[in-house]
Amino acid sequence: MTMDTELPQLPFPRPNVLDIAPGYKPLRDRAPLVRVRTALGDDVWLATGYHICKQVFGDARLGRSHPDPGNAARVSASLMFGGPTGDFATEEQLHRTQRKVLTPAFSARRMRQLKDHVTELSASMLDELAQRRPPVDLHAHFSFPLPNTVICQLIGVPEPDRDSFRLWSGRFTSNDQADAAQAVGEMLGYTMGMVADRRKSPQDDLVSDLIAIAAAENLELLTDHEIADMALHLVFGGHESTVSRIDFGTLLLLRHPEQRKALVDDPSLVEQAVEEILRRSIPVDDLFPRYAREDFEIEGVTLRKGDCVLTSTSVANMDDRTFADPERFDIFRKPDASHASFGHGMHYCVGNALARIELQVVFSMLFQRFPTLELAVPFEELHIPIERRWIGGLDELPVTW
Amino acid sequence: MRVSADQDLCVGSGKCVQTSGEVFDQGEEDGVVVVLQHTPSEQHHEAARRAAHGCPSAAISIIE
Repeated sequence: MTMDTELPQLPFPRPNVLDIAPGYKPLRDRAPLVRVRTALGDDVWLATGYHICKQVFGDARLGRSHPDPGNAARVSASLMFGGPTGDFATEEQLHRTQRKVLTPAFSARRMRQLKDHVTELSASMLDELAQRRPPVDLHAHFSFPLPNTVICQLIGVPEPDRDSFRLWSGRFTSNDQADAAQAVGEMLGYTMGMVADRRKSPQDDLVSDLIAIAAAENLELLTDHEIADMALHLVFGGHESTVSRIDFGTLLLLRHPEQRKALVDDPSLVEQAVEEILRRSIPVDDLFPRYAREDFEIEGVTLRKGDCVLTSTSVANMDDRTFADPERFDIFRKPDASHASFGHGMHYCVGNALARIELQVVFSMLFQRFPTLELAVPFEELHIPIERRWIGGLDELPVTW
Repeated sequence: MRVSADQDLCVGSGKCVQTSGEVFDQGEEDGVVVVLQHTPSEQHHEAARRAAHGCPSAAISIIE
C-alpha cells in the first residue's frame, strides 16, 4: 500500500444538504480511477465519473465480500456500508438465488398493480397531515410512514411492530458497531420469528412466498436464516432510501417554484420529474466499497484480489460529461443517459419499480393537496445529522402551509 | 424496427416494462424480460429505443 501522504482525504465536505462535495470534480478530471484515503485511513481506488461508476457496479469481478474481511480496506465503521459484507465463497451463487426469487416478486407489473393502493394510503396520510396545525414535520408524518407501511405490508410485518423497524434501522446504520450489531441481532430475531410463524401458517406476504419458493425449487442456499436476513434487508432497503427521496424531492421542488408549478399544472410531467429527483438528490455521500475477486486490470489500473474500489451513484449522477450542468435541477431535462441512482448491472436495485411508483404517487399528490407548502425553517438550517452520515437523509423536514 | 432481448443477460430490473409496457413484459414466474412486440408499430419506437438504451444490463437489442 502506498504511503503517499498527499492522497485526497475522505469524506469530502458538502456545502449544504442538496449539493455534492466539490472535492470530486477535480479528481474526475484527473482519471477514471483515483487513489484516495478513507475516513479510517485506508488507501483505496475511487471511481470518479459516470461510466466508471457504472462499470464498477456491473463488473462481476468486483464483489461485496472479501477473501479476508478482517484485513479489508473500509470506508467507515458502519456495519452495513463501511466494508465487506457476505461470504466470499458463496456471494455470487447466493446473489443469483436472491435475484431469482425476488425479481418476480418486485416485477414492474406487480408493482403497477400496487399503484392504486399506494395512492389510497398516500391520500389518507395527506388528509391526516392536513388536520394538523402547521408547522409540522413532513418527514415524520408522511415521508417516513408511507414507504415504511408499503414495504411492511408487502413483507408481512404487522402494524404494531413497524415502529420497531424504524428504531432498529436507525441503530443498524449508525457508526457504533457494537450497537449496530446488537440491532441487527434483534431485527434478525424478529424476522426469524416471522419465518417460523409463516412456516406453520402461511399468509399472503413475501416471507410466506419465499418459504414456498425455496421448498418448491429446492434452493438449499435459501435457509430460514437466509430468508430472515433477506426480509430484514428488504424492510430496511425498501423504505430508508425512498423516505429520503421524498424528503429531498420535496425540498428540490420547494427550492424551484417554477418547476413545482409546472408539475402541478401538468401532472403528466411526474415520471420525468421523479427521474430528475432520483438523479439530483444526494441524501447521502454514498461510497460503496467493492473488492476485486481476482487480479485484473481496469482502466489502466492493476487490481489485486481483495483490493478496494469505491463507486458512487451520486458521483456518477453529477458527472458534467454525461449530464450538462449536472447540479441544475431540471425536470424538463432530456438526458441521453439514465441516472445511476439504482446502481447498474446485476446489482441494479430490485425494488426500483416500487420506489418509482411510490415517488410518482407522492409527487402527483403532495403539491396538489398543499398548494402553499413551504419550508418552516431557513434552508441553511437543514442538515444531515452526523449520526446518520452513512445512511444519510434528514431527521426532520419542517414545513408549513 | 426489430426488437430482441437476451434473457441470459437480463437482470429483471423491469425498467423496460416501466418505459415501454406495450413492447416489453416480465415473466410472471422469473421476472425475466419478455418481448411482446418484436416489430412494434411506429408509435412505440421512441419508447422502445429508450428502453433499450436504459436497460441496466444492456440486454435489449434494436435493429432499425
